[in-house]
Amino acid sequence: MLTMLANLFKILNSDSSPAQIALGFAFALFIGLTPFFSLHNFLILFLVFVIRVNLGGFFLASAVFTLLAYLLDPVSVEIGEQLLSHPELIDTWTQLYQSDMWRGFKFNHTLLIGSVVLASILFLPVFIIFTVLIRMYRIKLMAWFEKLKIVKFIKASKFYQAYERLGA
Amino acid sequence: MTKWIRWSGLFGFIIVVTLIACFWLFAAGPLTKLAIEKFGTDALGAKVDVADVKYGLNPLTITITGVQLTDKDAPMENIMSFDSAVANIEPFPLLLGKAIIPELTLDGVATGTQRNVSGAIAQSQTKDDEQEQPSTESKPNEQSEKTVETPSSNTLPSADEILARETLLTEQRGKAFEDAYQYHGKTIEDAVAKLPDDKALKSYETRLNAILKGKFKDIDDFKQRKKELDALKAQFKQDKQAIKDAKQAISDGKSDLKSKFKGLKSAPGEDFNNIKSKYTLDGAGASNLTALLFGEDAGGYAETTLEYYEKVRPLLIDEEAKAEKQALKEKRLDGRFIHFETDRPQPDFWVKTLRFTMDLPAVNEQTGSLGQMAVEVLDITHQQNVIKRPTVINANGVNLTTIESIEFKAVIDHRKKPGKDSFTLVVDDWKVREAKLGLAGLVLDSSLLDVNAQGQLIKGEMDITGTAVFNRSQFSSKDRTVLAKELVGALKTINTFDVNATAKGKFSGPKVSINSDLDRQLSDAFNARIKQRQKELEESLKRKLEKKLLSFAGDYQDKLKELDLTEGSLSDAGKKLESLAKSEISSYEDQLKAEAKAKADKEKAAAKAKLEAEKAKAKAKADAEKAKAKAKADAEKAKAKAKADKEKKELERKAKEKLKKLF
Repeated sequence: MLTMLANLFKILNSDSSPAQIALGFAFALFIGLTPFFSLHNFLILFLVFVIRVNLGGFFLASAVFTLLAYLLDPVSVEIGEQLLSHPELIDTWTQLYQSDMWRGFKFNHTLLIGSVVLASILFLPVFIIFTVLIRMYRIKLMAWFEKLKIVKFIKASKFYQAYERLGA
Repeated sequence: MTKWIRWSGLFGFIIVVTLIACFWLFAAGPLTKLAIEKFGTDALGAKVDVADVKYGLNPLTITITGVQLTDKDAPMENIMSFDSAVANIEPFPLLLGKAIIPELTLDGVATGTQRNVSGAIAQSQTKDDEQEQPSTESKPNEQSEKTVETPSSNTLPSADEILARETLLTEQRGKAFEDAYQYHGKTIEDAVAKLPDDKALKSYETRLNAILKGKFKDIDDFKQRKKELDALKAQFKQDKQAIKDAKQAISDGKSDLKSKFKGLKSAPGEDFNNIKSKYTLDGAGASNLTALLFGEDAGGYAETTLEYYEKVRPLLIDEEAKAEKQALKEKRLDGRFIHFETDRPQPDFWVKTLRFTMDLPAVNEQTGSLGQMAVEVLDITHQQNVIKRPTVINANGVNLTTIESIEFKAVIDHRKKPGKDSFTLVVDDWKVREAKLGLAGLVLDSSLLDVNAQGQLIKGEMDITGTAVFNRSQFSSKDRTVLAKELVGALKTINTFDVNATAKGKFSGPKVSINSDLDRQLSDAFNARIKQRQKELEESLKRKLEKKLLSFAGDYQDKLKELDLTEGSLSDAGKKLESLAKSEISSYEDQLKAEAKAKADKEKAAAKAKLEAEKAKAKAKADAEKAKAKAKADAEKAKAKAKADKEKKELERKAKEKLKKLF
């Protein structure tokens, strides 16, 4: 937990732009909330590696969203059930179902499509909110935060220095 | 825009993916080989060997070579082996963990090939040992059964041999009768020994006369005689009981011996019938010959087929159940797959077409292989409900040497419950040569065979029927036994016959029956040929059995008469003793009664006189008291009357005075 917190502040205080960090958080929604071994996550990983997003922020947020997924899975399943059994969408699903490629994405699985839809809905709000929040943090809180005794204490601790040396 | 692209990330991603692909290409083969060997060995219970597994990328293929599946029951043999299997795999379904194989081709398929090293595994060896234990124990029984059956099938023994070999009821019951006779004889002898003889009876008479002669002198004399009489009565009672016991013993003996003699008398007949049916001397016995001739081979083929089927069947059934459980689990915990209508269904495992050619087994060394079977299996999957098609097996004979054509078709349909497995088999013009029939050295030299069989299995209940028609059949035997000669002679007259086989009931233990019109034909021919011999044998047997009966029960009638006489004499003796005791005792009792009566009369008269005197005295006293009471009453009466008169006069006077005063 302490490591995660240290990581978070390191990311927030890094040279990465707020948008890069927030985009990393937003992509992490897919990795964290949806079943990991899925074809769409292969694409997400490709995008994360290719687009200049903050990787630290991405992996950190992935771990956090994975924990959050335990709470959100029932919601995702319900969304998936509603979508896949919606009469107006049946034709679309049936059409997609005829393709091996789409079936490779497991779109007809309630948890998977529900969580992908949930992650997609949350993608933009998370990106925007975190961009704004990180900017606000850097303008108003970062200097004050750096002066906090506890932060100084942590930064001065051998553990943090060793952590820094490892380049984590 | 380019500042948003992380080139190092792009290259890194490409390198990682390439590394994974290379790993898959080089390591996937050995890993798959290990997986097939491990899971195959676990499933089969014996070693599964794979020489090599290779993957190809374009198109995605898997090639498996040198596959050997050990026969669990014979570790130095393969239950099946093939040189190579080439399978095309659809790539996208594989991403979903679904192995869809459009075509799987096997080359060099063979069954029963020899292995260089044993394919037994430690666990299966232990199990085999455990399983073999009871079969080893049962061998002596099987042996003994065979020992019993062998003479019946190979030769007709003589009457003496049969009687010496068989456990006869006549002998058993004769022995039992003899034992019973000896037992009852001893019992009766003991009982008779306890009876009073003539001398003892005479002595009783003398003693009785002494006790009852003359009148009793006094009370002591009476008491003494009574004591002697009581002792004599006790002796009588004891003797009577002895007679009763002896009579009972004789009665029991007679009843038991009669019943045993009845059984003994019927024993030769029963023995004869038993021997007759056991040594197939009649038509009914001959009707079993078809099963003897063809049952072993037919049973062997059926057993092998069922073994293979039994190995395959659980894969379908268990996997179905597993898939259902998995579906339920997914729905409950992690969401579920929703399937839509499609003409491209995707079960977890599906071999759309499997093709291979295999050699047919050789019937015997001289004829060699019968040819080959080209087998095509369509839609192998454990999820037939997903592909909505049953598994179909089509097999046709190719390069056949002695058979015109073979067609086999099976449908394994588990789309709906209960599943239904069915098959049809048609064999045309099979030139059968020198087929050993396993009875009396019989060989079917030549015949033209047509086979037509069909069957189905629903809910573990099988129903299989098959007909084999043998045309232009010729038999021979090198055996010199009587049965062999008789059989060959009988079979010479038979040109065409059919064999019908059915197997019905539970899959684990079906009721199998084999019958044929050969039964009837053979029965007629066989019966005619051995009729004379049978008659002789029957007569000989009857004679010998009767002789045996006589040896056990020859003097039974005399013994019975003797017992009857003994019983009669006992009865007379008992009656005599009874009447003797009764008459003497009654006279003595009469005397005692007369004396007692005289005494009682005397006492009665004295008592009566006394009673009358007392009565007269009482009457006189009563009369005097009565007179006295009357006089007293009269006096009181007169006194009362005088008083009344006086009162009356007084009243009249008072009344007169009142009248006077009034007027």
